Amino acid sequence: MASLNIEHLKYKYPGTDRLALNDISLSIETGEFIGIIGRNESGKSSLCQAIAGLIPNFYKGAYGGKVLIDDIEVKKVPVDELCETVGTVFQNPFNQVTGAKATVYEEIAFGLENMGVPKEEMIRRIDRAMELLDISKYRDRYPFDLSGGQMQRMAIAGVIAMHPQVIILDEPTSQLDPQGREEVFQAVQKLCGQGITIILVEHNMEKIAQYSNRVALLDAGTLIDFDTPQKIFSRVDLEQYGVEAPVYTQIGKRLNLTIEDTGCYPVTLEEAKTVLLRKGGNDPVWL
Amino acid sequence: MAVIEIKDLHFSYTAEEEVIKGMNFTIDARSTAIIGQNGAGKTTFAKLLKGLLKPTKGEILLNGTSTKDMTVAMLAKQVGMVFQNPNDQIFKYQVLDEVLFGPLQIGMAKENARRKAEQALEAVGLTGLETTNPYDLGLSARKLVAVASILAMDTEVILFDEPTIAQDYAGKERLKEIVRQLRNQGKTVITITHDMNFVADAFERTIVFAGGKMIADDDTKSVFLQKDVLEKAYLEQPDVMKLCTELGWRESVLSIDEFVSAIQK
Amino acid sequence: MKTISLYVDKGTMLNKIAPESKIWYVIAAITIPALMGTRWAGIVLIAVSAALLLYGKVLKRTLPLLAVSGFVLLTVLIIQGMFWWGNETPLFALGPAVFYREGVNYALGILINIINILMSFCVLILTTKPSDMMENFVRRGFSPRFGYVFISVFQIIPQMTETMSTITDAQRSRGMETEGSLAVRIKAFIPLIAPVIMSSLINTKERALALEVRGFNSRKKKTFLNDEVKTAGDRYIQIALPVLIIAAAVWRVTQWLA
Repeated sequence: MASLNIEHLKYKYPGTDRLALNDISLSIETGEFIGIIGRNESGKSSLCQAIAGLIPNFYKGAYGGKVLIDDIEVKKVPVDELCETVGTVFQNPFNQVTGAKATVYEEIAFGLENMGVPKEEMIRRIDRAMELLDISKYRDRYPFDLSGGQMQRMAIAGVIAMHPQVIILDEPTSQLDPQGREEVFQAVQKLCGQGITIILVEHNMEKIAQYSNRVALLDAGTLIDFDTPQKIFSRVDLEQYGVEAPVYTQIGKRLNLTIEDTGCYPVTLEEAKTVLLRKGGNDPVWL
Repeated sequence: MAVIEIKDLHFSYTAEEEVIKGMNFTIDARSTAIIGQNGAGKTTFAKLLKGLLKPTKGEILLNGTSTKDMTVAMLAKQVGMVFQNPNDQIFKYQVLDEVLFGPLQIGMAKENARRKAEQALEAVGLTGLETTNPYDLGLSARKLVAVASILAMDTEVILFDEPTIAQDYAGKERLKEIVRQLRNQGKTVITITHDMNFVADAFERTIVFAGGKMIADDDTKSVFLQKDVLEKAYLEQPDVMKLCTELGWRESVLSIDEFVSAIQK
Repeated sequence: MKTISLYVDKGTMLNKIAPESKIWYVIAAITIPALMGTRWAGIVLIAVSAALLLYGKVLKRTLPLLAVSGFVLLTVLIIQGMFWWGNETPLFALGPAVFYREGVNYALGILINIINILMSFCVLILTTKPSDMMENFVRRGFSPRFGYVFISVFQIIPQMTETMSTITDAQRSRGMETEGSLAVRIKAFIPLIAPVIMSSLINTKERALALEVRGFNSRKKKTFLNDEVKTAGDRYIQIALPVLIIAAAVWRVTQWLA
């Protein structure tokens, strides 16, 4: 059963005359890991904000269509109640620190306190969230003293402690170093394994290919395609939408190597290795 | 062409902990990437090179003169630095004025400054947006405004701090092209970055920092072949190279082109 | 940990009692001498504050604060001592400057008052975690939004100072002078302040969104992770101090009637 349905979603920011989201429809199953890709200003962030209900309840503007999570129409629920259904993680870990709490532990409690969760339940949820994000060891640290990757995982912990069914992450790793980025991706994958639906915007196509079940390709506010990463990255017109396929796919395209059963080009390191080994791509003769 | 010599460089913000713990190397004509984990000392190094901080011990010589003996304003004529966050510098209402600010500050003649600014805007692909308010642009375009504002200063040395953050495919390609052009003009180009594919595609030389020390310095390919160095600095190989490693190739390559031609041979 | 809060946890009873009790102490320390109108009441309360600060292991931290205000206090002493309107009896002279008994006396009154107020505030500020105090207020029905603004200022101002120094670096890197004559500094004002305003606006918007999606505007009744800071003795303190204030007022009235 599809848990997240978007039906003919249209949206225009106030004071602009271009549709930021132009008639988008798609269904996402519970527990899927969805990647959203497209060039800058293609509507990725707007789509995220619409799923989180920030459009049209925080950003006003012209709005049409529906976003449904199970039976809840997000537009009709105030943002502060919707956060127990959809969680949002933003790009800059720094600006997600509330600035009102002295420790990581208290910081994660922020949302739960606002929602009026009883203390014992709160403690249980914080402990679980810290464990899932592997930040229990920073429990008593001052939030602003964490590294970028740790801070971002703390932000995610604060969001998942509220037990949302869907988590939206808008370029959560773009400001992190490779280690911090990997930490965040692994944590997010673990959450996905717990049955939480993940919606992630990311410019690093190798990561999108590695982690997503399906990928939504946007351009100029329109949904161009919504399919498996293999299908999406195998499209011949990809560059037209300002997206570069993962290097593994590009190599596959150049050498015309496809995966046997799907006819698609490889998208991950593993897949590229498989097709190349089949082709006999072992050590080429060097000079 | 500028010569930058780093001699026994030490720096600490507080008495307890050194951030730069003795570095020695020389930056030459090659385009150079400095990589390493957050906290490895990369940004501190950039600030030292820019004269914003002064070494606690040792020195940086720019064409033979120590940065200790130069004011920030003097250095501004020779070393340009693009900061990570464009919001930390942009204050003019129009893109062109923002780009003109640096050249005029360092005493460039008006007409010349204007010509340089126009060239810089063309290089970053923002021609036609001269009269736009920079804050009406998205973050990625605003970052390119910041890049142009430094390019227009026409300095011998140009230092980028995480230029690829928030850039999409087109933006990254544009940055790679800028690095190549600057290199061909004989400028010294240095970047600090976490983007290994960007390093592999656009930089000839790579220097690895870890815990305030320089732990590797070689041409880019050789550095990425040193497994122990990457592990120590918590870094990854660029994606093409990962594939070579996975396939167990004896030799490794950095770019898709090289990979394809190696196979086709 | 970068915060502009002056609080340090020394684990003494002063850290454990309810912030409200300490607020009552500040009120009492200010009103009692004022009501009684005698100087010795102020002196006694200064001694009490000093004893409390000593007990709370923060007396040393009070000294820099007193030193800063000491300069102002010294000016008061000099000006009043030399020029107070009621000056008649010379007390002593420093070269050509003559100090009068009446003026010095008047200035001493001001000094005692100010030192008393400062030290009683120190008892509150140096031993109370700002967030504990705010949480207690919110529990009593105070607006959580106001509470948030109050608390976040302690952490966000140091972060803004950092942004400010990056901005200064960025502009100096483009050849702008920031040091030197007044004219130079005035010229540097716009390039420095405009990015500060723009980036704080951007950051504030982002933070507002992040707070929003964590239920900041929720109308549900808030719960608290931390237990309320209070001790068994707080009830008595919060009865005793108002009683003392009233007693001081009564004493003054009887003096006046008599």
